[in-house]
This record gives sequence, C-alpha cells and structure tokens, in this order.
Amino acid sequence: MNANSSFFAFLPEIMRYAITAATPLLFASVGGLFPELGGMLNIALEGLIGMGAFFGMAMVGASGSLVAGALASMAAGVSGALLLSLMVLRFRAHLFVTGLAINLAAGGITAMLSHAWFGTKAVVPFAIPMIPHAFPPLMRNIPILGPILFSHSIITIAAWIWVILSATIIQRSRFGLRLRATGMNAEAVDALGARASRYRISALMLSGIGCGLAGYSLGISISAYVPNIASGRGWIALVAIYLGRRKTGWVAAACLVFALAESISNYLQGFLSIPLLLVLALPYAVTLISLIAGGIQERIRRQ
Amino acid sequence: MSRTVTALLASVLLAIFVLALAALGSSHGSESRFPDLIMQFFFTPFSSRYFAGNLVADAVPLMIAGLGILIAFKSRNFNLGGEGQLYAGALAATVVALACQDHVSPASSASVAGMSIAAGILTGALLGAFSGVLRAIWHVSEMISSFLLSAITIAVTDYLVAGPLQDPNSNFQTTREIASFLRLPHILAPSKLDGSIFLALILVAAAAFAGSHSRVGFELRICGENEEFASYCGIRVAAYQTGAMALSGALHGLAGALLILGTQGRLIRGFSGGLGWSAITVALLAQNREYGIISAALFVAFLKSGSDQIMIGSGLPSELAALLQAAIMLVITTQTIPLAYHRTHSLRSASPASHEEASA
Repeated sequence: MNANSSFFAFLPEIMRYAITAATPLLFASVGGLFPELGGMLNIALEGLIGMGAFFGMAMVGASGSLVAGALASMAAGVSGALLLSLMVLRFRAHLFVTGLAINLAAGGITAMLSHAWFGTKAVVPFAIPMIPHAFPPLMRNIPILGPILFSHSIITIAAWIWVILSATIIQRSRFGLRLRATGMNAEAVDALGARASRYRISALMLSGIGCGLAGYSLGISISAYVPNIASGRGWIALVAIYLGRRKTGWVAAACLVFALAESISNYLQGFLSIPLLLVLALPYAVTLISLIAGGIQERIRRQ
Repeated sequence: MSRTVTALLASVLLAIFVLALAALGSSHGSESRFPDLIMQFFFTPFSSRYFAGNLVADAVPLMIAGLGILIAFKSRNFNLGGEGQLYAGALAATVVALACQDHVSPASSASVAGMSIAAGILTGALLGAFSGVLRAIWHVSEMISSFLLSAITIAVTDYLVAGPLQDPNSNFQTTREIASFLRLPHILAPSKLDGSIFLALILVAAAAFAGSHSRVGFELRICGENEEFASYCGIRVAAYQTGAMALSGALHGLAGALLILGTQGRLIRGFSGGLGWSAITVALLAQNREYGIISAALFVAFLKSGSDQIMIGSGLPSELAALLQAAIMLVITTQTIPLAYHRTHSLRSASPASHEEASA
C-alpha cells in the first residue's frame, strides 16, 4: 500500500474531522468579527475561549445539563467582554493592553479556580451526557456524504447556524449597518443620535458569546478541561477575520482552511510519525504563512 | 494619585483579597491561615539575603526584556512575540555553549560565553526583525505575526529540548548542563544573583541616554508619536520601526541567553514561566521612562516571588502572579481624560498598534 492510496482512503475521515475542528474557530472568529467591524479589535478571544471552556465544563459537571453548560460558557465569555468594554469605553484604557490583560487574567483565574474547585490545575475530566446527533440516521447513512457532512453533533451545526445568523445580522439588520458605520466613523454615528459606544459594547458582548461557545465546544469534544485549552485558536480566529476581509462567509471559509490544515496535520502525525511536540507548531505555522500571503495579496490588490 | 500608584495598589489589594479568599476556602487546617499567607507573600521575599538576592536575580531578565518592550512601544510596535524571542535567544545560547564547551579550554571561556550570548542576541533580533519587515513591506500586523512566530519558536524549542538536545542522564526534559567555566559569576551568594545585573543597569542607562540625547532616539520618538510628520521630515519611518522591532527582539534574546548562562545553567522545558509576558507589564508600569524599568521589574519580580512563596507554603497555584499582573495592566492604561475615544483599532489599518494611550 503506498502513501497515495491510503491518503485517499483517509480523505473522508480527514474532511469529517476538519468540519469538527472548524467548530470552535467558527464560533470565535465570527464572534470576533463584530467588534472588528465596530472598530474595536478584540485580542482577548484566546482568554475568553479559555474562560468559556472552564466555566462551561464546570457547569456541565455540576448540573449534568449540556444546556446549562452552554449558558455558563456564554456568561463567562460575556463577562470577560464586558470587563473589556468597561475598561476601554468607560475608563479609556488601551484596547490591546486591556485585551492582553484579560488573556493573562483568564489563565490566572481558571488555574486558581480549578485548584480551588477540583484540587488540580492540570487536566479535569468530566462525565458529560450524550451529545445528540444533528441529523437522523437516514442521512448519516448516505455513502461518503453521510459520514463527512451529516455525522456531526448539534454543536457543530450550531456553529454554522451562528455563522448564518451573524451574516444576516451584519448585512441585513439596522444593528449591523450601524455597527459597520461605527467602525468607519464613530463620530458620524454619534452625530446621528445613535450612541456608537452602545454598538461597540453589544459587538464585544457578541464576541464574548462566540468565544464562550468556542470554549464550550472544545471542552465537550474532549470531555475535559485542560489548561491552555484554546491553544492559539483565539489568535488563529483573528487571522481568519483578517484573511476573510471582514466578510462573514470568507471568514468562515478561512476557518475551514485552518481546520483542514489541523485535520491533515493530525493525520500526518499518525502516518509519518512526526513528533507530537513539533506537530503543535504546525497550526501556528500554517496561520503565519496565510497571514503573510494575505498581506502580500492585499498589497498587490491595492496597487 | 498617579496611575502608577493606583496600579500598584490595585495589584496589592487584589493579592490580599485572593489570599483572604484562599484562607476562607481552605480546609487544610492551620496551614493556610490568613496572617501566614500575608507573611509568605509580602515578607518572605525580603526575609533573607537568599530570598532578596533571588528576587533581584528574577528582576534582571525582566529589566532587559522590559526595555525591549519599551523600545517597541516607543516606535508604536506591539511586540507580542517576546516570549518566543526569549526562547530563541536561550536556545541559540545553549546550542553554541554546548557545542563549544567540550572542545575549548577554560582559558577561552570569555570568548565562548561571548559567542553564546551573541548568538542569543542575533537569533532574538532576527525574529523581531522578521515581524518588523513584514509590517514595513506588506503592512502585516506585527502584533499577530510576532505572536504566531513566537508560538512556533516555543513549540520547536520544546521539541528540541525533549528530543535531540535532551540530556540522556536526566529524567527531566532538559539539555545538558553548561560547563561551569562558561557560567556568569555569582555575586551575593547563596542567592542565584549573578553579574548580569550590572549589564542590565548599564543597558537601562544607555537606553535612557540614547532616548533623550541622541539623534536616533529623537527620531525614533518622532516616528512613534507621529508617523506622518516623521516621514514628512524625511525620517525613514519604516527603517526605524523595523530596527526597533529588531532591537526589541535582540534584548529579549539577550535576556534568554543570560538566563541560560546565569541562573539556569541549562535549557529546561518551560524555563521562562511567562517572563516574556511579564516584560510587557514591566514596560507598561515604567510608563515609557527608561529608568522606571528598574523599579517596575523589581516590583513584578516581587509579585512573582510572593506568589511562588504562597505556592510553596500552601499549594495555591503560582498563576496568582499572572492575575496580579493583569490587574496592573488593566489599571495602568486607564485615562482620566477622555482621549482618542473615537479611534478605531482594526486589523485593516496600516499601523494597528497605536500607543499614545498606552504610554501617554
């Protein structure tokens, strides 16, 4: 058996895993798109994902309810985002420094609480209820397409609903229009009698919801909370926003590309026995290369 | 009350608050009594020559790396890759030292140690310059590119330390030990403080002098304060910004190399403990004043040292230090006067990191 034939044999599995791996990226990057459109790039996505994962999993563990866990992770993401908007819009703190502080604080808070509640700051496993399938067995059993597209959990499907919902809000609603206007010229929005800061706070809260759910999906997928569970996904989501040129559909497409890269590197790891520690560098390398390629393309486009 | 004082107070009050919570929530008996925790956090770091020396030793890399962040800030660069640049410097210094030490006599120790440190500086500078060049040519956000590059560097270093460079005689993920004749001389035994403190102080003084008395420092400041004006004056803005990123990386690389030849003696996986991030706290706390770096680094080192004491004494995670630094960051950049409220911060703008608010 040569490498080629087995690669194609694994292709459906690689594509299926890519769609699963895209779930947290979609939640986080489309969430992070809102504040970016409002002119307030939220670099705390990474920390908010970690908070969402920790509080979501803790709630699932305590209540046994998947819904309660999802609500808790959204609440955690939103509170982090509210702290950010309070510091930046009310106390005029520097946006990026505040974002950085929230990333730092998220690691600190989750470690301290993990120690206090679960007696360890390392891996905390949770017994979670069965995650319902999104599609009926009939669809899952369709050859090839079934396993790739229809074998996903409701959380993955929720991510795509989140994408479509967000695109609609951004493109078709008054909120979306004014948010985009805020990003272009906040003074003009204020002059129209609409408070620019309100749109920015709402946008930040939406990014908190997205990141909370991103963390939740990560925690659920491994039935555990581990420190640094986001492992760079918050930053990769930022690059997806940049590469997607702030268009929801393209941002989602960029997420799929990154997820595919993650899936392929996972596969290669088993196949070519690349050392695990080196594989950890791959998602960042793919993201950096895409970032540079995006920059070059942007430069050419403007000339 | 200045923001610096407010930020310091905020971190100290948060520390007391967390310690009180820990004492209330503790079920391990008398071990975690509140007065004991307070003693461990606030007084143990100063209780002996050993602890005080270690605190100063921890402040040295913070001063050097913090200076690197400060220079990046001055040129309106947000260097989020400090941690990786530090790793790169440490890795390069370790590789050079380990490759040479078996083949040279202790008589040439100075030149080998010098080469090792130079390798660290150069590697850090290359990483920093890479992000600087990306920004200068293609307007790629240096904040994100430096972070990603740093994450790659850390992963590769971890792999090398646990793999090809692993000390076969050790159960830990670490390289072989650097020969003692290459190590920096200790001062203030039995603490781990070494001669690098003098280098750090000289660098701070040199940066302060260059910042206010040299043409380069002056032009760099103009670039940071008003890019358009600077280019109108004929200052080569892109060169200055790239140079500042390279210098920032170089200082991080130097800090990493000095850690290896100084206090650590070998490259251990996870050796930095978030030092690159703490350097950002130091630079913010120094409020753009070079001499402020010294006291800021000592204070941040104290927070870490206190948190470590708490961890040793009562098992509370040392991440307490991260939380306290976050409090400093949150408070230090607040403005009492509404400033730049309508400014947009976006991935699309040519220079995403604007720093007049951070450093005003």
